[in-house]
Amino acid sequence: MSPGRGATAGDLAGAATDLEVRGLRKAYGAVEVLDGIDLSVAAGEVAAVLGPSGCGKSTLLRLLAGLEEPDDGTITLGGQPLRGPSATHPMVAQGATLFPWLSLRENLAWGPRAARRPDADAVADELLVATGLTGFADALPRQLSGGMRQRAAIAQVLANRPPVLLLDEPFGALDAQTRLRMHEWLRGLLAQRPTTVVLVTHDVEEALLLGDRLALLGRRPSRVLEYSRVSFGPERGRATLRDPRFVDLKVQVLERVLAS
Amino acid sequence: MSPTSGTGTVAEDTAPGPDASVGLDEPEPVITPTGRPRRRRRRLLGLVVPALLVTVWALASAAGWVSPRLLPSPGTVVEAAWAFVAGGGGSTLPGVTPFDGAAGRHVGASVGRWLVAFALAVAVGIPLGAAIGLSRRTAELLDPLVQALRSIPITAWLPIALVWFGLGEGAARYLVFVGAFFPIVIATADGASRVPGALVDTALMLGTHRWDLGRKVYLPAALPAIVTGLRLGLTLGWMSVIVGELTGTTSGVGAMMFAAREVGRLDHIIVGMATFAVVGLAGDVLLRAAARPFVAWSDR
Repeated sequence: MSPGRGATAGDLAGAATDLEVRGLRKAYGAVEVLDGIDLSVAAGEVAAVLGPSGCGKSTLLRLLAGLEEPDDGTITLGGQPLRGPSATHPMVAQGATLFPWLSLRENLAWGPRAARRPDADAVADELLVATGLTGFADALPRQLSGGMRQRAAIAQVLANRPPVLLLDEPFGALDAQTRLRMHEWLRGLLAQRPTTVVLVTHDVEEALLLGDRLALLGRRPSRVLEYSRVSFGPERGRATLRDPRFVDLKVQVLERVLAS
Repeated sequence: MSPTSGTGTVAEDTAPGPDASVGLDEPEPVITPTGRPRRRRRRLLGLVVPALLVTVWALASAAGWVSPRLLPSPGTVVEAAWAFVAGGGGSTLPGVTPFDGAAGRHVGASVGRWLVAFALAVAVGIPLGAAIGLSRRTAELLDPLVQALRSIPITAWLPIALVWFGLGEGAARYLVFVGAFFPIVIATADGASRVPGALVDTALMLGTHRWDLGRKVYLPAALPAIVTGLRLGLTLGWMSVIVGELTGTTSGVGAMMFAAREVGRLDHIIVGMATFAVVGLAGDVLLRAAARPFVAWSDR
């Protein structure tokens, strides 16, 4: 990749890359939302971002996705500045945004087709298997349940093998049982496809189950108050929820979020 | 865009096993009944009131409750309709406007005007509506004018159409164009403005080029609204045909009806009205059928 231009999907596809955020500031008129966010996420790590409601977590993610311009600060992916939305750092938000007029298979093939990959259909079929939705290849998004749509939306952006994945409360609209299944599914998927992930969530349990690192934002205009490593190993599932150390950690983090 | 279709089913997610890492148990699709017998029953139900009205009309005519000069009997109208289609009724109309066996000529002339003007309304209305829907500046510039002009009744355009285009075909087509144009512009603008920004963001984040957004995202997402506008435009255009045929045309269903009015042939006039109803309905059914594969996804 030549220096001085932004990272492109072709340059970065397939390999997780480190993400660096330095001094990110954003205001909407007189309302300052982010006041110098610094964040370093190593390649293949999952950074969970927690913070009080309205502190700018989603704004941070929209800036990382290139959907909005920061007022100040830099975002680099593998040392290269990111400019605008692209397939290298896609975001999946709450309420999956699959294209409602396309079948599930065509939704999953969208990214590879946009990249003019000849194996777009094969990629879609592979993702149908990975999401456990092979029986729904020809179904329209509205014919799927919320959990299935959310899995499909994550798989859709993973089709281009992005080095970075941004998740904005992706499971927030799901019920507790489905959310737990989705956590296990996502952990399994990321184990097979190492990807650098920034996960914004209001759910401490979700942050601890999925995150390798935990970033705690303060009230608006927010900064990163704490950025710590989650002390549990990679094997986290529903059994972890009963682990007294996990329960204790969850209470501690929740108290810190409330205090922030 | 690929056309898709399907009945509304919501599938239940099944639980993956506790040890599932990648791949979940395959859920069973939920099959909903197609509801065909119910649809047929609903369609038959829609015929009940018209059948009752015709029965009352026939009884009133047979009992002499209404004068045939004010309302001819259903039988007389059916005979006139047959003569209109097949000829042999011995009916003459003033001027150069034939009636017997002239259904093809009149319907063909009216439908020709309708389709030419409608095609023009589509060609101008969809791009203009898209521009209004997608650009706030264009909306600020043009929307007030469109809203004001669409409030003008189609008959109010008649005098100016006659001045601009003279008697005949040009004025007729212009009036049909005006009738079809505004619903298409307004529905397209509305549909384009309501395309969720999240879909556009997703397309960009999947590597879609900005130049492809119109074709790949905006058009398919706005298509249900555009089709609604096309249906309204088609119907209003067809309703405007009769106004257009007031402009001195010698062929067309409207021209036939005005000639029939001069000689007091109410049966011919009712045949003309029925022709408008049948052709208008057929146009809508055909348009809906043609659009269905592309908008079935939006069915509720």
